[in-house]
Amino acid sequence: MPDTEVRTEAATGVPTDRSGSRATKRSPVDALPPASRRYGEIGDRSTKPRWGMAVDIERCVGCWSCAVICKSENDVPLGMWWNRILTRGDDLDRPGEGEHGHLEMEWVPLACQHCDDAPCEKVCPTGATYIDKERLVLVNQDDCIGCRYCMAACPYGVRVFNWGKPKYPVDGGTGMVGARPVGTVEKCTMCVHRIAEDQVPSCVWSCPANARVFGDLDDPDGRLVNLLRSRGATRLLEDKGTRPKVWYLQPRRRRPL
Amino acid sequence: MTSIAADPAVALRAEGPSTAWKAWVGVLGAALGLGAFCFAYQWANGLGVTGLSNTVTWGMYIISFMFLVGASAGGLIVVAGSELVDSERFASLNRLAVLVSGAAILTATGTILPDLGRPQMAWKMIAHPHWTSPLMWDMVVILVYLSIAAVDLWILTRPTVSGSALRRMAVITLPVAILVHSVTAWIFGLLVARPFWNTALLAPMFITSALVSGTALVVVIAHVVERTTGIRFGDEHTLGDLGKLIVWFIAVDAFLLGTEILTIYASRVPDHLDQLNVILWGRLAPVFWAEVALGVVVPFLILVRPALRARRAWLLTACSLAIVGVFFKRVNILLSSMFEPLVGLAPGIPGGRPGQAFRPDEIYIPTWVEWGILIGMAGFFFTVVTIGVRRIVLDRTADAAAPDPVPAGGA
Repeated sequence: MPDTEVRTEAATGVPTDRSGSRATKRSPVDALPPASRRYGEIGDRSTKPRWGMAVDIERCVGCWSCAVICKSENDVPLGMWWNRILTRGDDLDRPGEGEHGHLEMEWVPLACQHCDDAPCEKVCPTGATYIDKERLVLVNQDDCIGCRYCMAACPYGVRVFNWGKPKYPVDGGTGMVGARPVGTVEKCTMCVHRIAEDQVPSCVWSCPANARVFGDLDDPDGRLVNLLRSRGATRLLEDKGTRPKVWYLQPRRRRPL
Repeated sequence: MTSIAADPAVALRAEGPSTAWKAWVGVLGAALGLGAFCFAYQWANGLGVTGLSNTVTWGMYIISFMFLVGASAGGLIVVAGSELVDSERFASLNRLAVLVSGAAILTATGTILPDLGRPQMAWKMIAHPHWTSPLMWDMVVILVYLSIAAVDLWILTRPTVSGSALRRMAVITLPVAILVHSVTAWIFGLLVARPFWNTALLAPMFITSALVSGTALVVVIAHVVERTTGIRFGDEHTLGDLGKLIVWFIAVDAFLLGTEILTIYASRVPDHLDQLNVILWGRLAPVFWAEVALGVVVPFLILVRPALRARRAWLLTACSLAIVGVFFKRVNILLSSMFEPLVGLAPGIPGGRPGQAFRPDEIYIPTWVEWGILIGMAGFFFTVVTIGVRRIVLDRTADAAAPDPVPAGGA
């Protein structure tokens, strides 16, 4: 992983490094109780992992826990989200009308899809957006000039821009990862700082319905690959050819409401 | 120095600054000052002071960039094209056209800076170039293009302009001028995320629009130069002949737009159709139909009639409308794709500022900061043109156009 130190907000007082290097002080993960740590361990992987995630639409209850914990884990400022829950239906909390007049409602948790063929990475003029060794799409804020070409190129609309001085619900934020400078683009990192500690991303760890499964897509016997195989997973905007590493497990049955 | 009055360039300087001239310099200075203030304000506060958001990430700056690169390429393509076919018809306009092109491309480069979140980091594009990005290609081709415009100007301002050198330059200028706007189109046209941009027709459409706006801009500026300095470009038909060319450009431009719309509308691919509907019947419909009426129908009907385009008032009206029409076209192209994200489920894309959680029905209204910077950019463009006209166009055109043997180099 390239050495990508991110400017640290002086107020947080916690020196942080987006690559999750141990060069920093105590990692926030170290502070977790042992039981929580064990619960969040990634487990099996191949020698050269290609991280991916499955989101089970059947299990998702649309509670936004993953979206909220993502904000605190990554210090996402007010007005911005790296991870949010879309509603396939009429509105946020009103069901839509499906086929044959049945009411229908389901949730699509949406964050960076970490595409294998990422349009954002291709168009970045400075290479600030890059694909790391474990195939995660990351942003090196130091090289970001803020042209927002990646935002125009992203079919999923998951990137957010630092429009002004960030504001946090808690002064200085939580300080788990470094603050991003004004005028740069940021997005979900798949909690790369947690992966470095052998912990699953925060959204996976926090999901009360166990709707998210994190793992190595190149580990043919892993839990993730087995799940994808048995459930017939789909990806968002498959026809755009971006080959996302976030897969959606479609509901096996639809009950008329 | 008996012939001093016959040389308008000299006459202009001999008269001393007129009230109109002082007012013009004042306007330019005010525009530049306003632009500088707004840019500084935006730089200090972040791009949050603009009307942009995470949904509409590009706005007036990029629209102006597209427009200016087009206006720049268009004028130069006409000049280089006529040189290539050995036509002397627009030779008198050479210097002015190259000057306007150079000024427009300089200004276009300038409009990129305020669009950057961190203009102070722009050097990273040179330090860490990432060559798969069309933005990098555009930077290179713009630099080449600027150099060519400079060399062109240098050749055109030699005491004896060599026709063969001009033609040789035209061989390079024409493809680069076409390329500079094509690459600008590919910045947008190569994105799978934006179906309305993602068409092979985008670059040809950019070129035809560029020919309309670039030629029209040369006509308007040539007229103003003629009126304010008393010099003449060619004979009384020269500008009208450019108007005749614009008729063709408008027709081809409208044809390409029409075929694009028909293809989307008849094949009804949902993503494409959604973005098209935004301009046909949706939130951008007023701008689109204004583009069609003011930018295509009216100028075409005026310019297609020889009697009308021979009259300055009609010619200028048509050209000004065509320029506005092309600007509206850029607005429509850019915003229609921005207004309709591919994943458009509720609650939408985060607004980006505190208090703006989500904005599913994103609308883009430029703020005073954006207008201020644009006025500053216009000021910059006209400052370059004004200085260029006084330094480059006046002296030489006067020499070349003067029918009687006026001693050259009166200044």
